[in-house]
Amino acid sequence: MKYLYGIIFLFSINARAQVNPGPRFSAMAGAGVSLQDVWSLQQNQAGIASLKRISFAVGFQKPFAGYELSTQSAVLALPVKQYVFGIGFQRYGLNAYSEQRAGLTYARSFGNKLFTSLNFNYHVLKISGYGSAQTYSVEAGLQYQINKDFLIGLHVANPGKGEYRGGVNASVPSRLQIGAAYSFSNKVVIALAAEENLSGTADGKLGIEYKLVELIALRGGVSANPFKQYAGFGLNYSHFTLDMAVASQPIVGYSPQIALSYEF
Amino acid sequence: MSFNRGAIISFLISAFSCNLAFGQTETDPAVQQIIEQLAEELPEDFDFSDLTERLNFYRKNPVEVNRITRDQLQELFFLSPLQIGAFLEHRLSTGNFLSLLELQAIEGFDLQTVQKLNAFVYISDPNSLAGIKAKSLLSRGVNDLMFRYSQYLQQQKGYQQNETDNRRTYLGSPQRLLLRYRYTYGRTISASLNMEKDAGEAFSPPGKIPGFDFNSANIFIKDAGTFKKAVVGDYSLQFGQGLTLWSGLSFGKSAIISSLVKPALGLQPYKSTNETLFFRGLAATFRYKFLDVTTFLSSRKLDAGLELRTDEKPVITSLPQSGLHRTVNEFSNKQAARQTVYGAHLQIRKGNFHSGLTGYHSRFNYDMLPGNSLYNQFYFSGTALGNLGLNYGFTFKNTYVFGEAAYSDNNQIALLNGLMSSISSQVSVVLLHRYYPKNYRSFFNQAVSESSNAINETGFYSGLTVKPNSKWEISAYADLFRFPWLKFGVDAPSFGHELFGQVNYNPTKKTKWVLRYKFEQKQENDDLLNTINTLEDVSRQGYRIEFGSKINKTFSIKNRIEFSNYKKETLRREMGWMIYQDIGFDPAKSKFSANMRLAVFDTPGFNSRIYAYENEVLYSYSVPAYQNSGIRFYLNTRYSVNRKIDLWTKFSVSNYFDLQTIGSGAEQINGSKRSEVKLQLRYQF
Repeated sequence: MKYLYGIIFLFSINARAQVNPGPRFSAMAGAGVSLQDVWSLQQNQAGIASLKRISFAVGFQKPFAGYELSTQSAVLALPVKQYVFGIGFQRYGLNAYSEQRAGLTYARSFGNKLFTSLNFNYHVLKISGYGSAQTYSVEAGLQYQINKDFLIGLHVANPGKGEYRGGVNASVPSRLQIGAAYSFSNKVVIALAAEENLSGTADGKLGIEYKLVELIALRGGVSANPFKQYAGFGLNYSHFTLDMAVASQPIVGYSPQIALSYEF
Repeated sequence: MSFNRGAIISFLISAFSCNLAFGQTETDPAVQQIIEQLAEELPEDFDFSDLTERLNFYRKNPVEVNRITRDQLQELFFLSPLQIGAFLEHRLSTGNFLSLLELQAIEGFDLQTVQKLNAFVYISDPNSLAGIKAKSLLSRGVNDLMFRYSQYLQQQKGYQQNETDNRRTYLGSPQRLLLRYRYTYGRTISASLNMEKDAGEAFSPPGKIPGFDFNSANIFIKDAGTFKKAVVGDYSLQFGQGLTLWSGLSFGKSAIISSLVKPALGLQPYKSTNETLFFRGLAATFRYKFLDVTTFLSSRKLDAGLELRTDEKPVITSLPQSGLHRTVNEFSNKQAARQTVYGAHLQIRKGNFHSGLTGYHSRFNYDMLPGNSLYNQFYFSGTALGNLGLNYGFTFKNTYVFGEAAYSDNNQIALLNGLMSSISSQVSVVLLHRYYPKNYRSFFNQAVSESSNAINETGFYSGLTVKPNSKWEISAYADLFRFPWLKFGVDAPSFGHELFGQVNYNPTKKTKWVLRYKFEQKQENDDLLNTINTLEDVSRQGYRIEFGSKINKTFSIKNRIEFSNYKKETLRREMGWMIYQDIGFDPAKSKFSANMRLAVFDTPGFNSRIYAYENEVLYSYSVPAYQNSGIRFYLNTRYSVNRKIDLWTKFSVSNYFDLQTIGSGAEQINGSKRSEVKLQLRYQF
């Protein structure tokens, strides 16, 4: 049994880096650092600074269909005058092992050109039979609107390399993301992002979103390291949006996810 | 025939203007660029002359833009199915084009496409000379006779006498010779003849009638009565997406994303010097309303390795594809077996929809043995094979959907489905899914694949082209592939992927920048000495920066720097580079033109080799690998002796710093230098 936990733990260390950015950004290969959505709370919080209405969303992901693992997330953005406040929750794992994260965001826009954010997270790691450990982390984000079609973004997560207290040899991933998104003809958005984990791995991502009609958006993407292909769609009706995404990796297979969001 | 002054004057003018437009390069630079981009993904000496010949024909005999057909647009190759659809749609809905400028108004036609197309079409105005020009050019027969000679200047081992038996490995002389003849009469009749001898092949082999080693000829009739097309002699067949039946020129993954969608040209006369991928016999296409019926019968001798088993009949153990017959062994395989193929193809086309049904039967005169290795045990065995295929394609709004299902009579079905969509005026995507079972069989299968044949592979390709404005063009693709069964050198099921990105930037009409990155990862056997191989990841990366500029009316330059990076898990990383300078000299009114390259390269070995397209004499192609450490130079010249006679030469030399011998086996040269001369003479009358 101990051996099993060991495997789960090792496995989770590999998978842990994923803060799930919701199915819209996921379907675009996770190249969301320069996109704007309530789900920016899970990728680059500066992306909520442009929101004008209260929005919230809940999402569910099965990393590698067939395993017991899952990710649940919920996000809420609350615009107040020129500020936007955000709250995000995520739980990842299974009964015997889980990682939870709660985040509080403060975002602000300057003249609809520059968007900034600061984010504080509280992390809890639980292994049944072993107890739990806690830590904090900080994230900061920036987006800049070069012209009405062109947005660039920058995001830093946990630059202080915060580690769990209580003798657990695990840390919250530190990463740097940089990206650009370009809109073509109001129907097509192409997003490019590069990501560097301070553990030494780097990734390049390309995502595309195509609004087939006002109600339906189709999405796809590719990331280079590890090589993954992504696809998804979004249905937009009245105040509701339903998004689906699936990621495909040659070895572990498919990771599907779904989310529902509401905008007041 | 009445004397028509106007016609003669117009003919003289058009001949003159034609000459001007051509410069001396003959092939349009835009077309040259297309071929270059496609060529670098293909084997080193792939023969593109089919395509160039076709384009040169349309260059000399442009088609009236209001009369050009879908087939002709397809033959131009650089137009995607979506663009062809949009062109025809535009012409139908808004009526005849009044000016070539109107081409820019067609959906999906950017400036570059319009410029390319302009080179092959014209617009007739009853009052201008242009209308008569095309007629006068076409109403007579044109003969085109060409002779090519090439040879390495250093002696290769195969031409020296062995010390043991005083014999030479190669039966023939080191010259490579090609005799090529074309006859065209208008757009209706054409005939072609190719006769070739490769280096090392004998002109008068023992016990055979003296002559060229490879001879190919055909007569082609087009649009005559009930015949849409008919060929007697050598021909190629291209249907659907190439999964069931495709012979001759074929492209796959390349820097041109849209080239993934194959333009099936159906029956075509075979004009290439590739010695394997063609049919020999009779074939014809009939058109009845929206139905095209092609029937074909072919019977030809193939190179085959034969083995005598206990019963007196030999069996086929291999089908060599190189077309080389230099040694006793190669020569004894020459045309050792016979393959007979017959079948038919039915195609319907209604509006934006087309679909085709292909059925054919192929038979050898001997039994073919199954492979005796684990990896090739699913290859074809027996005498006869039946194939059936269904292909489709339709355009819906901004999207072209296409695919093919193919059946081989060992009850295997292979599938290919894809779409191409211009999701905005600046962005287009191509998606393609493929599923080729390990024991799917077809002798004429050239569908999109990572392997050389479309068997034992599944994959998903996604490609993207972005043209934000006329100065920028960005293309990228990602391809995931799996091989469900073993392959040669890969002792387990494996998978891999490929990533490609290219940025073209044309700040002015005369300058061009290209940035390219390519990454490929695959699995293959380890290099350790053990009885059971394990698989290791092998990755290859290429980085390229290119700059080209037309300095003035006479001179142009092109520079390229390319880096390669090879890594196999247990081997040391190999990194190589190459840099070249091309100079083109092409004065507008001169009879003489030339281009040259000086390249310096340094790669630790074969694994980190770098391919680069080289300019050649007309209708000749080469994309050699630059490997080891050295310097390479070539000079191409063309001289138009008069209106009828042209002379080309190429001299090239590679000098290696780190080699004492070049090549291996019978190809080996003692020394560190290898040089080649090539001469080509063309007489048009």
